[in-house]
Amino acid sequence: MNKSVLVLGGGIAGVASSLRLAVNGFKVYLVEREPTIGGAALFFCCKATEACNQCSVCLVPEKIAEIKAQPQISLLTNSQVAEISGQVGDFSVRLIQRPRFVDPEKCTACGVCAELCPSQPNKAIYLPSPQALPYAYAIDKNNCLHFNGVECNICSQECPFGAIDFDRSPEKIELSVDAIIIATGFDVFNAKEKGCLGYGRYTNVLTGLDLEMKFSTQGSITLPSSGKAPQNVAFIQCVGSRDVHIGNGYCSQICCKYAMRFAKLLQYQHPETKITIFYMDLQTAGKGFGEFYQQCKETIRFVRGIPVEISEISPDELEVKYEDFIEGKVAKEIFDLVILSVGITPRKDSSNIARILGINLGEWGFFDTQDHLDSTETNVEGIFVAGTCHGPKDIPESIAHGAQAASKVIQTLAARGI
Amino acid sequence: MDEVKIGVFICNCGDTISKSVDLLDIRARLEKLADVALVSIGHDLCSPQAQQAIRKDIIDNGINRVVIAACSPQLYGDALANLVEKAGLNRHLLSVANIREQCSWVHPDKDKATKKAMVQIRMAVDKVRLQDVVEQAEVEVYKDVLVIGGGIVGMEVAIELSNLNLRTTLIEKEANLGGRLKQFAALYPLQVTPEEMLTSRLKQVTGSENIDVLTSAGLKDLSGEVGNFTAKIRKGNKEISRNFGAIILATGYETLFLDKVYGFELGNNIITQSQLEGMLKSPGEIKKIPQSVGFVFDICDEHSRISTLSTLRNALVIKERFGSEVYVLCRNLQVDGAGLEKLYQDVRNKGVIFFKFERFPKILRENGKINIQVEDLSMAREQVMLSCNLLVVEEKVVPHQDFATLESMLNIGLGPRDFYQEDNVHLYPTSSTKSGIFFAGNCHQDLDLGRALTDASNAASEAYQLISSGKMRVEVERVVVDPDKCALCLTCLRFCPHDAIRIDYEKKAAHILDLACQGCGICAAVCPAKAIKFKDWSDDQILAELEVV
Repeated sequence: MNKSVLVLGGGIAGVASSLRLAVNGFKVYLVEREPTIGGAALFFCCKATEACNQCSVCLVPEKIAEIKAQPQISLLTNSQVAEISGQVGDFSVRLIQRPRFVDPEKCTACGVCAELCPSQPNKAIYLPSPQALPYAYAIDKNNCLHFNGVECNICSQECPFGAIDFDRSPEKIELSVDAIIIATGFDVFNAKEKGCLGYGRYTNVLTGLDLEMKFSTQGSITLPSSGKAPQNVAFIQCVGSRDVHIGNGYCSQICCKYAMRFAKLLQYQHPETKITIFYMDLQTAGKGFGEFYQQCKETIRFVRGIPVEISEISPDELEVKYEDFIEGKVAKEIFDLVILSVGITPRKDSSNIARILGINLGEWGFFDTQDHLDSTETNVEGIFVAGTCHGPKDIPESIAHGAQAASKVIQTLAARGI
Repeated sequence: MDEVKIGVFICNCGDTISKSVDLLDIRARLEKLADVALVSIGHDLCSPQAQQAIRKDIIDNGINRVVIAACSPQLYGDALANLVEKAGLNRHLLSVANIREQCSWVHPDKDKATKKAMVQIRMAVDKVRLQDVVEQAEVEVYKDVLVIGGGIVGMEVAIELSNLNLRTTLIEKEANLGGRLKQFAALYPLQVTPEEMLTSRLKQVTGSENIDVLTSAGLKDLSGEVGNFTAKIRKGNKEISRNFGAIILATGYETLFLDKVYGFELGNNIITQSQLEGMLKSPGEIKKIPQSVGFVFDICDEHSRISTLSTLRNALVIKERFGSEVYVLCRNLQVDGAGLEKLYQDVRNKGVIFFKFERFPKILRENGKINIQVEDLSMAREQVMLSCNLLVVEEKVVPHQDFATLESMLNIGLGPRDFYQEDNVHLYPTSSTKSGIFFAGNCHQDLDLGRALTDASNAASEAYQLISSGKMRVEVERVVVDPDKCALCLTCLRFCPHDAIRIDYEKKAAHILDLACQGCGICAAVCPAKAIKFKDWSDDQILAELEVV
């Protein structure tokens, strides 16, 4: 019988692990809580200007396409782990799979259902992403009239393939696997925790994640207050990172890079836009990134120091207060758009997963590994971690870490003759 | 050649495509085309029943070329090729027309959409009519790996390969393994010391039957292609010849002090990080404990993780061992690595003082002391004068001297800063442009130790994936050279990014290595004599497609 591995989390790290294992003949159960694999980065945007700026977001559909070609990988979406027992070579796993109400085997994503769905303002039946895998629609129970006291069966009646079935209940799935890789990903830092920066209160204060969403759905950005193009934009780095006072004493490793790429993209679309990046230390290491930073310096103003306060003078005028080291005083400057470069934090449910699996959490709440390096072994033999659930990583590093975890699984099982 | 019989299978995707495309009209017109033996419209071609029916249709009607008009080949392209194969045809005898995403979904006007779908399908028909068969074969490959470079990364690669049951030859040009690990004074933020790490890895390397270590050795020559490389290795006066399936380069980096950039020379209490590490390693060399030590970096290389790392480590060692005053002057600290921000905070809490400068500090030698004049940004740009007994300056991280020789010997590319260039920095971060040759560690990227070990693991498992079965599947003669037309001008040889073209002296023509070829098509495009044919996209096929438009 084939050796089998449970990969918990279908983000880019879990996908990379699954691919490396499947190619080497392993049976993989790829468990994802959302209706599609791809994780956080599936919803990020390409940041190319006239040239590719190497944001690596395009690797996600690339890797998803590779998964599709691997019959060795069983996708278990809408699923979460409930219980795990046993040891390396013989883990018993119990999963709960919430119903999707659309059979992905039958659905061809023709879109008839969503066209007819009467639910407002958001359709209750939706394709999670144009790159989704399974490439099939799913029903959002909270939005769906059928599940909210209305006798609506339009989609199930009109589906040309009879793929929709409302009478489904959560299922238990029992699996037996030889090893487990945890790749549950990260939460984006909640910028509201930094109240003085006004996120959630001021219309024109957005986060890096908001930018990702806006660019990936609309292709550009306008001022939320007026719909006009931004004229004067400030990026504030290290929001939720390198900050022991809020319990995040680490660098998120991604924010300097995405801020500079967004800044370049904004100026590419609106060459007149002025951009200022407030920073502590610029993280410019990485192949080709130093050169990119030198280009950025030509059109972007970099100011050392993290602003402490933002106040809204009018919806289009945000006053940013910061320490001006050159003049040696507190300076105030007006911007029409402020982007908070939020970082990576451990997932809220990571302590729960740590408890179920019996693995340790590190100082900041990420899953801990044996030697604190970028290794993948946890304190439980046969359980490995991959990607950002172990600490901040960008997309290529998450892929590399995922593949490393897979390689360690192969080595561990080989060493034990399993 | 047998009579061409093309079968066209059109998918209606649950009657959604026919809303904007008149499929019946298309069928009627397709049936009149030459060589089209069968046109069928299905409800959903992705379902197992429909695929069963297609297979039956292909066999029953003696179809020998298949066109499928359906959704994007991104979705089911592979499955469709498998289907064609199961029906007894070569998987290349299939052409897919995307009439869903590229037509019916985006064109509401039925007349125009029908016209476009017809063009798309006719292009596919005319392309597949001219398609050549490409057979697959299995080729035996060596299950041995050559690892060049016996530093921590090279050792890690060899250990992982050994754990994966592949035999490895590890060659190191120095007399001992260990590389830079031998010179580091500490490995913070890791809790292990360099000695402990070195000892444990050496034990694993020497204890493994799968690893053959050759020290004081170097690569002299390489021939062959992926799976079947032949390497000549020089060890002392001897020359050893061995066969390998894959090669992993872990040759590390060198550091260089750039006196031109700094404007002064070393000596008189100004030393480099490497010199400091040497002193910290052999305490006998330190005659007088320095009361105050300055570190300065970001002057000749702003974007290197290595300067930040070595500065933080060595500053902490000095603080803990001697209790000296320690100043660090830099532009930006590169703390984007596991545990580095924590290390920075620890170093600060131990009393090391950091100055971030915008303009280069002035460094003056006076009476055996070194005075540094720097703008203190946290105190309203006041000029601060620091006095040190010892100043430690950064070195630029540069490629190894051997790089150029290895590069030309292996025929792989160098990147903009002369480090090895990956095939695709993000998609295949450890693969070189040449199949079967991989990079690990700082010879191709600027990495901290954690990242370097991840990289090592990746390179090892890429090599494992490639050769562990002892066989490789290969598409035979996907790209072919017509010896009558080839003038041996060597244009293809120069353009091939994958070093997959050789000269066949018997046929007096270029010859394409099937295993090394990655199917990019550049050679076929640049050949001035049109002697090279890429079977999936031949000139005839492309012209036939254009004819339809």
